[in-house]
Amino acid sequence: MSTTKKLVIAGLVVAGVTAYMAYLGASSSWQYYMTVKECVDNAPKVTGRRIRVSGTIEPGSLSITADRREARFSLSEEGSKLPVVCTGTLPDDLSPAVPGRPTKAMEVVVEGRLEDSRTFGHHVVMVGDKLITRCASKYNAQKNEPTATADLRNPETMR
Amino acid sequence: MTSLGQLCLLTAMIGAGYAAFAAIVGARSKHRGLGQSAVAAAIVAVAALTVVVLLLAYALVTKDFRFEYVGQYSDPLLPWHYSLSALWVGQAGSLLVWGWFVAVLAVIFRFTSGHHVRMVGGPRELGELAFGVQMTYFTFLLAMMIFAADPMAPSLTPGGRGEGLSPLLQHPAMLIHPPIVLLGYAAWGIPFALAVAALISGQLDETWLQQARPWSLLAWTTLGGGILLGAEWAYEQLGWGGYWAWDPVENGSLMPWLTGTAMIHGLMTWRQGLLKKTTLVLAITTFGLCNFATFLTRSGIFSSLHAFSQSPIGWMFLTWIAVFAVGCAVLILLRKSQLVAERPMAAPWSREALVLLGVVTLALLTAVTLLGTLAEPISGLFSATRILVGLTFYNNVLIPTGLVLLALVAAVPLLRWGAGPTRGQGRLLAVAAGVGLSAILVAIVCGVRSPIGLAVAGLAGTLVASTLLAVLVTLRRDGNSSRGHHVLMVGVMSTAGFLIHLGFGCLAIGIAGSSLGSRETDLSMTRGQTVAWEGRTIRYADLLQEDLHQNVVVSAQLEVNGPAGVSYTLRPAQILYRPQNQWGTKVAIHSTFGGDFYVIMHGGSQAKQIHLTLIDHPLMCWLWMGGWIALGGVVIAMLPKRQRREFNEDNLPGHAVIPRPHIATLNVYSEMP
Repeated sequence: MSTTKKLVIAGLVVAGVTAYMAYLGASSSWQYYMTVKECVDNAPKVTGRRIRVSGTIEPGSLSITADRREARFSLSEEGSKLPVVCTGTLPDDLSPAVPGRPTKAMEVVVEGRLEDSRTFGHHVVMVGDKLITRCASKYNAQKNEPTATADLRNPETMR
Repeated sequence: MTSLGQLCLLTAMIGAGYAAFAAIVGARSKHRGLGQSAVAAAIVAVAALTVVVLLLAYALVTKDFRFEYVGQYSDPLLPWHYSLSALWVGQAGSLLVWGWFVAVLAVIFRFTSGHHVRMVGGPRELGELAFGVQMTYFTFLLAMMIFAADPMAPSLTPGGRGEGLSPLLQHPAMLIHPPIVLLGYAAWGIPFALAVAALISGQLDETWLQQARPWSLLAWTTLGGGILLGAEWAYEQLGWGGYWAWDPVENGSLMPWLTGTAMIHGLMTWRQGLLKKTTLVLAITTFGLCNFATFLTRSGIFSSLHAFSQSPIGWMFLTWIAVFAVGCAVLILLRKSQLVAERPMAAPWSREALVLLGVVTLALLTAVTLLGTLAEPISGLFSATRILVGLTFYNNVLIPTGLVLLALVAAVPLLRWGAGPTRGQGRLLAVAAGVGLSAILVAIVCGVRSPIGLAVAGLAGTLVASTLLAVLVTLRRDGNSSRGHHVLMVGVMSTAGFLIHLGFGCLAIGIAGSSLGSRETDLSMTRGQTVAWEGRTIRYADLLQEDLHQNVVVSAQLEVNGPAGVSYTLRPAQILYRPQNQWGTKVAIHSTFGGDFYVIMHGGSQAKQIHLTLIDHPLMCWLWMGGWIALGGVVIAMLPKRQRREFNEDNLPGHAVIPRPHIATLNVYSEMP
């Protein structure tokens, strides 16, 4: 067998294995990327599937547990609403509104699954395990001085 | 001030436009005067753009909110060095810095190229044409600054106090990561320009290679260093315990680095008369991908973790890429006959064959990364719901390609160009493989069980052994010749490339160890409590609050007793950034060769509990160390060529005894096994 042939075979083997691994990876990890509206409208179709949803946290709906490992909020967009329970490391700029301070609408992307649930008075709830806040390079100026609190990032005291 | 800046921008564009025209026409018509006027115009353009950069930098440092850009990215309380770093945080600023790098590098290139021609000889036209290509690109960047992203735009509300820089970006790595990546992108423009110039002029001999080599190494190092710094920033600042998320922006910077790596290897095979078209395509693709990265970040077609403002700039870049891709494809087709290989591949176990396989593997990795990155927008074209691929997709692909690359770099030091290994080299290869096997045994004893981890250990062991053996062989050979005092120098210099490979081996160990052996737990602790985890005891001693001018730092004191009786204190913290009234997480890391102990404090209160995440990242620092080793290799490889040529070339273990290959030796090669 000529050198060229051997090299072609070696190249094809590498390419084949890579393509197969890519296929395995894609089939086990692919997810829909949808807006809140698309998600609510197609709820039966995507229930149980891995999805990534982008939307805005409804002002006032966000609550975070004391250990900052779980956030609950309502994701809204164009009149559609989706309740979300998200666990895992939460981004630093995700914090509940403080009374007397202007609340900014926070745009987020949540990854997780849609599950059947009646606890929220809705038919479905999104159980997220990854949350990203959009717009990391810019922040809205806030006029109020911060309350330098002795308690460290405790949602109870911040609220 | 803003109008002075805009005037300078306009001057720069006119200067650059003229320089592009005069350099290309001057080179083609061999008109010396025109070529020299191009250099003068380019210097004027660089000077004008320097004024713009200085104006914006001064405005940022002095917090001059009459500039719209300053108002967007700075605030009165921001320390001056972070305010200055806003120069490359925003869109208009990063474009400005990029353009400035392109222009400065182009002028430096023009002078070094002229020097090269005077010293070594060769046609002047190539460097002048390449300079013209550079200036054309610079004009394009300036046009975008003027028409789409003006860094000198006056603020509509000059009395404002500024929106401030995101606290996430206030980190030392962020001071230098973006400009280093931008410098890398700008430097890849020079090999690209040389490739295009060689294609236009038809001077497809070794001249463009010699000039492209140092610039490619510079670009490769700066881009690679920039990527690593970005990873380190994510690891230390973002506080999620990882360093790479296969985000579109990260992929955008990784892809040109991968094809660039392949291209540098292509430069070496070109000297052997092989892979000429591939090398040119790689040089062009690499620069194309640098531009594509900008398209990714500016077009807004992705749900990226990095949020950039959407702007037409992305689409302008895409149009530019399309135009030059078509142009270059036509050029390569026109010059096809000059680009055929001078000889067939010698043997499957020759250096060129392994380089070819490496190039194919790197190209595969790039293609798959590109496919994964574009899955979302492409699927959006065909159906209503868009589809994303997850991390598993990329990590899965990295396993076979990474292992193949590691195997290739492990074998290559003991092989030679133009022929299969000699019997001596074969024996050395067997020794290296033996060392690899013992590395696997050591890994098993150390508790590694994953097949991938064992494979990485074995291949890394082989890599170290083969590199050391290659150095030893060189030393012995040159020790026998009469140049005793230069022996060490020769040994080190001839193996600069392999030192970079060693760095890659370290990197592979770091990636494999930290991803395969990672452990994580969440817990809450009260003051005075002690817990045991993964061979350590951790005692929560106290929670301290410091009130600083700009922020409030609340840090927990964790007294840790490590596995080997080592004790240290970790201080994970939460920081309140006053200007933004926002909390940020500061992780605490204890780093050793064995691995990192990474602690995140999510929150808590003085009176009650604090909430922690503990992460164990085995062998993490090997990843950063790999970067430093590779940097050392590049520095040695970049040492002046004349010194190197004196010693090496034909007496290296990597060179077959046969003379430089040409057509007459075809039969010899085809008869080799």
